[in-house]
Amino acid sequence: MEDIYWILQADKVYRFLQNNKRLDGRKFDEYRKAVIVRDFSKNADGSAYVKLGKTEVIAGVKLDLGQPYPDTPDEGGLSTGAELLPTASPEWEAGPPDPQSIELARVVDRCIRESKGIDMKSLCIREGELCYVIYLDFYVTNYDGNLFDACSLAGTAALMNTKVPKVENDKIVKGEYIGKLKFTKKPLLTTFVKLKNYILLDPSLEEDKILDARLHVATTEDGKICAFQKGGSGSFTPKEIESCVELALKKSKELRSLL
Amino acid sequence: MRVDGRKNDELRKIKFEVGVLSRADGSCYVEWGQNKIIAAVYGPRELLPKHLANPYRATVRYTYRMATFSVPDRKSPKPGRREIEISKVSAEALEKAIFLEKYPNTAIDVSVQIFDSNASTRVAALSAAACALADAGIAMRDLVSAVSVGRANGEYVLDLRKEEEDAPDAVDLAMAILPNTEEVVLFQMDGIITKEECSRLLKLGLKGCKMVYELQKKALKEKYMREV
Amino acid sequence: MSEKKERKVSRKIVIPGEVLTAERKKLGANVFLREGKIISSRLGLLQEAADKISVIPLEGKYLPKENDFIVGIITSEKYYGYTVDINSIYESTIYKRDLQKPLKIGTFISAKVSRVNELHEAELSNVKVLYGGEILKVSPVKIPRIIGKNNSMINLIRKYTKSFIIVGRNGLIWMNGGNIALAIEAIRIVESEAHLTNLTDRITKFLEKETKVKK
Repeated sequence: MEDIYWILQADKVYRFLQNNKRLDGRKFDEYRKAVIVRDFSKNADGSAYVKLGKTEVIAGVKLDLGQPYPDTPDEGGLSTGAELLPTASPEWEAGPPDPQSIELARVVDRCIRESKGIDMKSLCIREGELCYVIYLDFYVTNYDGNLFDACSLAGTAALMNTKVPKVENDKIVKGEYIGKLKFTKKPLLTTFVKLKNYILLDPSLEEDKILDARLHVATTEDGKICAFQKGGSGSFTPKEIESCVELALKKSKELRSLL
Repeated sequence: MRVDGRKNDELRKIKFEVGVLSRADGSCYVEWGQNKIIAAVYGPRELLPKHLANPYRATVRYTYRMATFSVPDRKSPKPGRREIEISKVSAEALEKAIFLEKYPNTAIDVSVQIFDSNASTRVAALSAAACALADAGIAMRDLVSAVSVGRANGEYVLDLRKEEEDAPDAVDLAMAILPNTEEVVLFQMDGIITKEECSRLLKLGLKGCKMVYELQKKALKEKYMREV
Repeated sequence: MSEKKERKVSRKIVIPGEVLTAERKKLGANVFLREGKIISSRLGLLQEAADKISVIPLEGKYLPKENDFIVGIITSEKYYGYTVDINSIYESTIYKRDLQKPLKIGTFISAKVSRVNELHEAELSNVKVLYGGEILKVSPVKIPRIIGKNNSMINLIRKYTKSFIIVGRNGLIWMNGGNIALAIEAIRIVESEAHLTNLTDRITKFLEKETKVKK
């Protein structure tokens, strides 16, 4: 029943785009208002609540102990998960992660992992035997478009206020911390959607629902790009990708300034 | 003297906020001590597959889930047996409050998600869920107001914290009522008590539930007093 | 010293389970009797007359009633007819045998609810196609306020926006021509302030200001 509304909205969206406008009055390269609340959950080792437009996400970090991967014996681990909660949208139901939430988690994970912002070596306790594993989990409570940027902002904000628990006799000492997680680069995703030939930054809900393709660009504080993801069944031209990259480097600074 | 200096019949700081999610039909966010919980309602809506629907009344589906980072030891993202049981008894608690026959053949979906916890999450979640149902415009005979009550360190107390739940003589009773008729719709206990203690806890619990009710009522009305 | 005219809530806000009166009165909408007391079953505004007591809901889904005038959207075609989204729990069906012309998916229609069963499923009659225009979805419980007493509010909006507006009791509003964007803004204000006083004044001032700026 919901689907017909998006198809009908599509006409309106394109009419506006032809007049160089978006439904919510934004420019094509304008971000919606973003709000970050740090340290949202006290039980978490690090956490953040983000509201981007009306999209709301809560990210939480818990460190646990594990064994390093054989090919990186002196490094810790990072495991990322995302849940699209039934609270967030009428069509989402409780249940195991579906491809949409899995893609979301993996793309945000790559943005953070590939930036090399986490000092993974600092998470090694005993080479080849024991290390810290960072568990980063996202919960989307309200879906109003652009889950990717909202999650990466929440994830980076959460990691920035993450404390590392004390370990004694190979066990985590609850409630005691040895310092902050060494996390730099402030990696963030910037998302573009393609609607016919229009490219828009930070898609609203309507734009997300009718997109032909999307491009997620991960950038770091020092002006580098560390990950890409293209989604949707449409396509981008190489020129379009280059201009998105340039815009991503510029616009990510705005979100980064909130961190 | 309680761990956090509260009187025996004093609740922690509780704040309900109604109508916070733009997509859900009804919603309520609650901060209850350290607990941070969001409750959302979708419905009444079509229940699919059709053969699972009850042709005479609505079916309440309640999902209680805790975030992995909401507890001291990271929790697996998969729902555990505890969450499934809480979901079941909570749905049953709400069923008494809702005029189910008014919406035959439908589903009323309630989803509660815990983001930070320190004891009594199920009663906080249930109280928020009741507000979310009212916010969704669903016909109810009453709200559901819930509280935890019990014994810790020799004292009979309202709204237990984790430290009190872990006391050596701890008794933890989760209780929910329809506040205007005092009908008890949720009643679960861990601990050993005498008959007299039971009556004492019931009385204290009723008092606590009614205190929660006043806060729920205020939050529901406040939504419309907010500067537009 | 221009200040916002006092915005007070027009009536008392009541919640489900709240006791409204112990007097003997006729039961209106959204109330029930328990042990001699009249109680609200919904979150809404108390409407108390000398002999009758009702609650005007502030939230809730549309449940179709016989003779309701509604606006709908054709969502799919079956061999026997079309399914129509009427913004309720269930879609309705229009049978091909009752139509002169075939319909397309996405077409807007207006219709009358001719029959409702216990499951809140509605049968429609007097189906008319609405050509062009666009649809706005609002909270169905706010529709009476959007229409206003004797169509006062909706006519006000029609006058200033010069838009052709058809309001469905089910919360779907069809608009064609004129300043649709302004109409949407005005309707949204009524929707969010339906429970406050001086709304007609505020809407009039708002529409005046917005249409003056245009010139």
